[in-house]
Amino acid sequence: MTSLLDATALSVMDVLRGERETRPIANTTAASGLRAQLEDGIFAILGPTRRDEPLTIRSSSLRVSERVLDLSSSLLAQVRGLLVTQALRLLSVGLEVENPFDEALLAWRADVGSNELTSYVDQLESDEWARLATDVTAHCVTLKRSLGPLPSRWLPRTSLRAHQRLGGGGVVLRDVIDLMVGTTTSDDASVALLDVTTSPLSEGAERVMRYHALVQTLRTSTVPLRTSMFSTATGELWSTDVDDELLSRAVGDVLETLRTMTAAP
Amino acid sequence: MTPLTHRRLSRHVLNRLIDDAPHDSLVLTDDHRRSLTARFRAVTSSDHRRLDAWMVERAGQPYDPFRWSPASARRVVGNAALRRSLHEPALTRFDAVALELSDQLLRATAGYARPGSLASWLARSSPSVVGLVSCEAANWATQLGEAAQGLEHSWSVAASDAYYDVARARTTLRGRRDLIVPKGLSRVLLRVRAGAPGKSAGPGLRADLTIDALAEPTGLAASRVIGLWPEAGVVLSVDGTMDDLRAGARDLVRTAVAQQRYRLARAA
Repeated sequence: MTSLLDATALSVMDVLRGERETRPIANTTAASGLRAQLEDGIFAILGPTRRDEPLTIRSSSLRVSERVLDLSSSLLAQVRGLLVTQALRLLSVGLEVENPFDEALLAWRADVGSNELTSYVDQLESDEWARLATDVTAHCVTLKRSLGPLPSRWLPRTSLRAHQRLGGGGVVLRDVIDLMVGTTTSDDASVALLDVTTSPLSEGAERVMRYHALVQTLRTSTVPLRTSMFSTATGELWSTDVDDELLSRAVGDVLETLRTMTAAP
Repeated sequence: MTPLTHRRLSRHVLNRLIDDAPHDSLVLTDDHRRSLTARFRAVTSSDHRRLDAWMVERAGQPYDPFRWSPASARRVVGNAALRRSLHEPALTRFDAVALELSDQLLRATAGYARPGSLASWLARSSPSVVGLVSCEAANWATQLGEAAQGLEHSWSVAASDAYYDVARARTTLRGRRDLIVPKGLSRVLLRVRAGAPGKSAGPGLRADLTIDALAEPTGLAASRVIGLWPEAGVVLSVDGTMDDLRAGARDLVRTAVAQQRYRLARAA
């Protein structure tokens, strides 16, 4: 299922939860098969030799782009993404976010303390600062307008990390899911995953959605109901139900990324 | 020492680990406590020493001073919220988190919060920071609740961590525990951890096992300690055998020695 939202259609949460009656039975058996596929594929690529440093695959590794990125704008984009994620977290607990930039910045600083990115933000010129504030506010307005109500009984969890070691520790799959609703303990599949991005959605977004579903399946041994991605740049939502074919393609994506990483000089 | 059991996290695995926990319960005697005291007293310290499993895992390396943050507050608030939602089933975990935070803020307003406590930090924080604490605590409570929900045994959320003050050695030991599953005369402890287990995860669990037994007035050790790493989907466990208890005590003393060496090196 792929849904495209405009300003007045279904909210993101409506699409994420879908119809209760149509939910399939939770698949708790697929994880071991997927893990075996991955282990076999990794062995075929890396061989029996043990690596000193593990190869780490993140969702960003799957957003392959031929573009050469300007590093300074990339840092600004990273900060923008982090602040929009913080705003999503605040919205998920029902907080009225009046000044998204200020509130997200406060929350982010309390969360991480000080690091390279906070120092970078501190050193921004006033015009860059104003541009960042305007940018974050614009993205948050789109997010707030599209997200829809998020009842607490849906168990919303935000910024959920996952860390899977494969190939005897030679490969690590890392992931962060911006928003997850539903539970892994019910008989029906009810877990829906949402990734919020400040970039427009592209082909890479589909790979990222599949990757989230795969890592979540490996982590909890339960296949999620659906995986989605929302762009605060365009207001577009892509959402797809998770099935065996999607998970197999995700395994293929991971192995292909690994092949590219090992082939790189 | 029993080998460290490593499994993929699933509800069946957790139940099996609890079912298979050893039935024999070991007791730490006064002799054991006296012996531990003598070893800690041999490691001089000018300040009061506080040791826990995390320090054992880091082999006593120096660390940044503690500061409250949404991540460091999540366990305290999340466990309290889960406990509250068990007593008041009508509450969702989110509502329970909100009530716990209100209680903390009320304590600060009433003047009962001491400086440096969670309540006073929350009272000084902006609503957005409190909102983020609420997110983190809800994540924690949901994660722990989901792990506990699949258990076929009765369980409870630990009312507090285990603390043991080593007599005349200016040392306090703190053992973390999140869920307690009664089993026969003894109990199985469950600990939830962030990230993925490292090579020193086993010594960390053994330290928790030993501290928990020391904090128990009767000295009765838990029959098994299970560590849950939900982010990695991994479960590790150690048994409450005398060898494991001894190894836990030894690691705690070694950590105190390592800390003292780092302190002396810094002073030199």
